[in-house]
Amino acid sequence: MTAPAIRGIAYAFAGASRSVRELALAGALESDAELLEGFGFARVHVACGESPYQLAHASASQLLAEQGVDPATIGLLVYGGTPSAMAFSPAHDAEAGAQSLCTADRFRYPATRLQYELGLEGASVLALDQLACTTLFGAVRVARALMASEGINRALCVASEFYPLNAGREAIYNCTSDAACALLLEAGGPRNRIAGAATITKGYYWDAAAMREEVVASYFPTAVHAIRRTLASAGWSADDVTWVIPHNVSTRSWEILLRLACLPNARLWTRNVAEHGHTLAGDNFINLRDAIAEGAVRDGDRALLFSYGYGAHWTGLALEI
Amino acid sequence: MTRHTAHLQEHADGVVLVTGATGLLGSLVVRRWAMDRHAPRIAVLVRDVARWTAMASRLGIGPSAVMPLEGDLMASGLGLSAATRWWLAHHASAVVHLAADTSFSRPLHEARAVNVDGTQRLLDVVGECPRISRVALVSTAFVAGRRTGRIGASPVTAADAAAGWVNAYEQSKTEAEWLVRTRHPGAVVLRSSTVACDDLTGVVTQRNAVHRALRLLHDGLAAMIPGVASTAIDLVPADYVADAIARLALRGGIDGETLHLCAGAGAMPLDEMLEASHACWTRDTAWRRRGITMPTLGDLETWDLFARSVEETGHARLRSVTRALAHFLPQLALPKQFDTTRTDALLGERAPVVRDYWTRMVEHLRATEWRGVAGLAELAA
Repeated sequence: MTAPAIRGIAYAFAGASRSVRELALAGALESDAELLEGFGFARVHVACGESPYQLAHASASQLLAEQGVDPATIGLLVYGGTPSAMAFSPAHDAEAGAQSLCTADRFRYPATRLQYELGLEGASVLALDQLACTTLFGAVRVARALMASEGINRALCVASEFYPLNAGREAIYNCTSDAACALLLEAGGPRNRIAGAATITKGYYWDAAAMREEVVASYFPTAVHAIRRTLASAGWSADDVTWVIPHNVSTRSWEILLRLACLPNARLWTRNVAEHGHTLAGDNFINLRDAIAEGAVRDGDRALLFSYGYGAHWTGLALEI
Repeated sequence: MTRHTAHLQEHADGVVLVTGATGLLGSLVVRRWAMDRHAPRIAVLVRDVARWTAMASRLGIGPSAVMPLEGDLMASGLGLSAATRWWLAHHASAVVHLAADTSFSRPLHEARAVNVDGTQRLLDVVGECPRISRVALVSTAFVAGRRTGRIGASPVTAADAAAGWVNAYEQSKTEAEWLVRTRHPGAVVLRSSTVACDDLTGVVTQRNAVHRALRLLHDGLAAMIPGVASTAIDLVPADYVADAIARLALRGGIDGETLHLCAGAGAMPLDEMLEASHACWTRDTAWRRRGITMPTLGDLETWDLFARSVEETGHARLRSVTRALAHFLPQLALPKQFDTTRTDALLGERAPVVRDYWTRMVEHLRATEWRGVAGLAELAA
């Protein structure tokens, strides 16, 4: 079995959007709007009528259509994001959706519904939880392992999340969007070959709200550690990285992290930070699609994707474009 | 005659006025002199005689060995009575100035109030004492400020405005040195490195910015450290510095000299220091389970960017941590090695090598549960 590659990426954002200033006026931010604008944020997408499942379905069906792949040839579906029946609730009714987790509705699963509605009749199904913004990385990790161990040729990874209804729109100085993102992995694909990956989990920081200072302090050194492990896993040196495809957290934090990580030839693709903000659904992959589409990232480039998720998880992926 | 008093004969019939005698180094120096029957008479300038008496008793200094003079560097004429000043004018043969505000975090005007203005007031009183033949100032090696490279033991190696300083303490001590040299060109300036612990046992009596930074590292609150792995961190134990001051402050033949009381070639590389600390803490299972990663090393520009970002977020607790580190850590990105050649020759020995006691010191701080070292809760209070 040859190494898997990311054959295609598609995404769906919630239909409505709000500016950072509008969010501040609505009391949805902890920090001043000016500070977050200074950190690179301008607008985010906010789900109103959509459910996470609708966004997941939209991104996955778009991906299958764009790639012209027979759904029946997909051997694995890995879904991550809003759990159980809550995934079917529109954002305005999220609390009712949350209550459904305490009933037999808990066993109505978006992952299996997605398999059925997309016609993935040959796909076994797995769902991931508790990886926050690194969910799609986790899905890729699981898919990559299963493709190798079970001889699966194609895997579909889908993540879809809305930021909790009563949590505002800020996650430690980052503005968040509601979105879904889908990836099609294929064994031996010619582009976006997965050259290496690394994940670090530190359960000590599980309570991010109570350990804000520790989380901020641990973010940078652990991120550098995760990046170095990712490069080592790919057999790359720091000089080899030509693009860093970020999760859309503050551009300031990326400036600091890149200085600490010492990647002398890497450029950071930040175009989406202002217009889309951060998503739990996999903004690195959304960015990768857009960066390739605009011609910034090209064949032969070596891209490093890095993300951090509450929990706490640091994860990186090395891709040969 | 001990090695501490071998060079004190010319002050045998005089009085040595000591400031800062209730501080860590001052008390150790006075103790060394007071315990020796060949020592000169010692008068100590103290704000609170009762406190001195208690301290002297703790140190085993007999009531007749040292004369406490109630006064204050912050007061005009040092707050001394006319009779005391008359007495000093007739008996004082030397002054050893150890008193200082050693906090790294003071604003400049507060640091100057003690370290510069206080020195000025002391020198005014010294000016009334015609028998004084030696003025000795205990300063800091870090008057070198932001200078890097080999730092010679010389007045000209102190930083100036162009070179800059990391904190107000460094700047105020530089200004104090200049003041003393201007008024007393023959003064001896003893520049101490940062005191890490009491002695080779690693016991820490007086906590400072080094210990605070270490605690923040231990608690996983330091995101990054400005510095390069090979930067040599210069520290000294208090007993070495006290010995050196006791032996050099009144020694003849060194008029006008500046001497480094530093580890010099025995300083410890930053990466080794971090690894040794981490290895020590890792032995604690509870700490190990937290999975704390040692902070990444970065350049000063990155540190400034990080510190500025924290300031901008307005998060009070984060800001407290970063500010606590900012008064000290930037020195780690300014590698320097202090020249101790002359001091080593005068003393006939070198300062202890830092790696010989570093792990014991780290273990002591952990074993005493960081007692007296501010952590997040205290910094944010």
